[in-house]
Amino acid sequence: MSEIDIEKSRQERLEIDRAATKPVGMFIGTSLVWLLLGSFLAIGASIKLHNPEFLAEANWLTFGRVRPAHLNTVAYGWLSTAGIGIGLWILSRLCRVPITDYTSLTLAAVFWNLGNAVGTWGILRGDGTSIEWLEYPPYAAPLLIISFAFVMLSAISLVRRRPPGHIYVSQWYILAAFFWFPLMYVTSQALFFWNPIQAPAQGAVNWWYAHNTLGLWFTPIALGAIYYLIPKVIGRPIHSYYLSMIGFWSLAFFYAWAGMHHLIGGPYPAWLISASVVASVMMFVPVITVAINQHTTMKGSFSALRWSPTLRFVVFGGVSYTLASLQGSLMAIRSLNYLTHFTHYTIAHAHLGAYSFASMVFFGAIYYMMPRLLEREWPSAWLIKGHFWFCSIGFIIYFVSLTWGGYLQGIELNTKDTPFLEIVKLTIPFLKSRSWAGSLMTLGHLFFAVNFVWMLARKRSASTTATLLGKQGPLTNP
Amino acid sequence: MLYAAIIVLIVMGFGAVGAVAAFFWAAKNQQFEDVEEGSHTIFGPDEPIGEATDSFPGRAPGKQK
Repeated sequence: MSEIDIEKSRQERLEIDRAATKPVGMFIGTSLVWLLLGSFLAIGASIKLHNPEFLAEANWLTFGRVRPAHLNTVAYGWLSTAGIGIGLWILSRLCRVPITDYTSLTLAAVFWNLGNAVGTWGILRGDGTSIEWLEYPPYAAPLLIISFAFVMLSAISLVRRRPPGHIYVSQWYILAAFFWFPLMYVTSQALFFWNPIQAPAQGAVNWWYAHNTLGLWFTPIALGAIYYLIPKVIGRPIHSYYLSMIGFWSLAFFYAWAGMHHLIGGPYPAWLISASVVASVMMFVPVITVAINQHTTMKGSFSALRWSPTLRFVVFGGVSYTLASLQGSLMAIRSLNYLTHFTHYTIAHAHLGAYSFASMVFFGAIYYMMPRLLEREWPSAWLIKGHFWFCSIGFIIYFVSLTWGGYLQGIELNTKDTPFLEIVKLTIPFLKSRSWAGSLMTLGHLFFAVNFVWMLARKRSASTTATLLGKQGPLTNP
Repeated sequence: MLYAAIIVLIVMGFGAVGAVAAFFWAAKNQQFEDVEEGSHTIFGPDEPIGEATDSFPGRAPGKQK
């Protein structure tokens, strides 16, 4: 490999990263604002469950508003915004072409954030729709839809300009996500608000939408990020790349059927529910292929977790994906579902997926991306480590608290003679523990935000450019 | 109310057909051939296989100290 080839390849990569700096940076930067807001709304909602008098004098902060505000803020403000930025950057890198639509992406970022702001404000003032995962009032949706149209056009432009040849698995995942999400979102808006269908069909649409947002929007972007970042960080290709293809296509064909498992026990045709249970268990296939790939690729390189900030977040997320998905497949089986449905167990599971998997992977991706977008290093290693440890330990406490409490709750809910109030009381210590855990996680997010703002404020330094973007030495233990 | 459902069914139909078409396109376009080469496409002369590309601030990639 000649020096000229190396320099040419380096210049190409620099050009791609520099073109991404502003458009991607806008999405990433604003996503952190929503992360913080969503975290504080979460703590508020959590405290109100065990101490209902907390902030009770503010009617706009009543639990019925704060909880959906939290959910929608973290789903559309944090995860979706970061997902758009991360997805566009990885597509740009893998399609080997720079992002060119700076203007339309700026508009997209403005509309996306405006849509989230209008939606969150709408929920807090009482216009929430009470449809889980779709609580933003209908007047916020057009902003999000217009924004996403621009994002899609940008993604399509990147893919069309790509060089001929192999399409890497991450490109499949991310491009698919960028098509699936608008399809689901627009369909839901149409069937709920523009031309409303009647309940209980609404329930079916609700959980088709919400479950697909998890598995066909957040998941593919996060998986695309994992498949790109793990090999890039450790300098080794994916071990069983063939399996990753099986993983993508089986996700694409099975996942959309699974959403009805949220309606087990409800007034729905049995075939609808049973089909969803089968599809949920079929998810073992893509999930296990991803797990095998992650493990075999990482094998021999686990020491990298010590020197790579990105990798510790991404691997934590990857393992959580396996656990959350296997758990989810099992929870979809009727004989287990009767115990976990309507309990805190489900909330623990939801956060294992949306936080421990998706959010942690996105944290890792952002740690990798920002030095390349800004051409400077993160200012503080301690803030990164603090972020990781507070969030990982905080989340483990969160998960154990709600899983244990939810399990006990489920048993008592199925016990004929236990008064409901007794069941509520038994969950309280677990809910208090969750509030503490959530505070730890929020502290981690604050560390992240402080490091991010500090990094933006720093001027580009010549010495960091050399270490980061110049030729690196070889690994001592390949 | 029925109109929305019909439109949705048509759009979903296109979506499903599109997904199947994409799969067969990929097969025909040799996306599933030479899988090992495929896994190498994320690397390049400046970030080759065998070299780490991440580190904590102030450290060289691949090194803890």
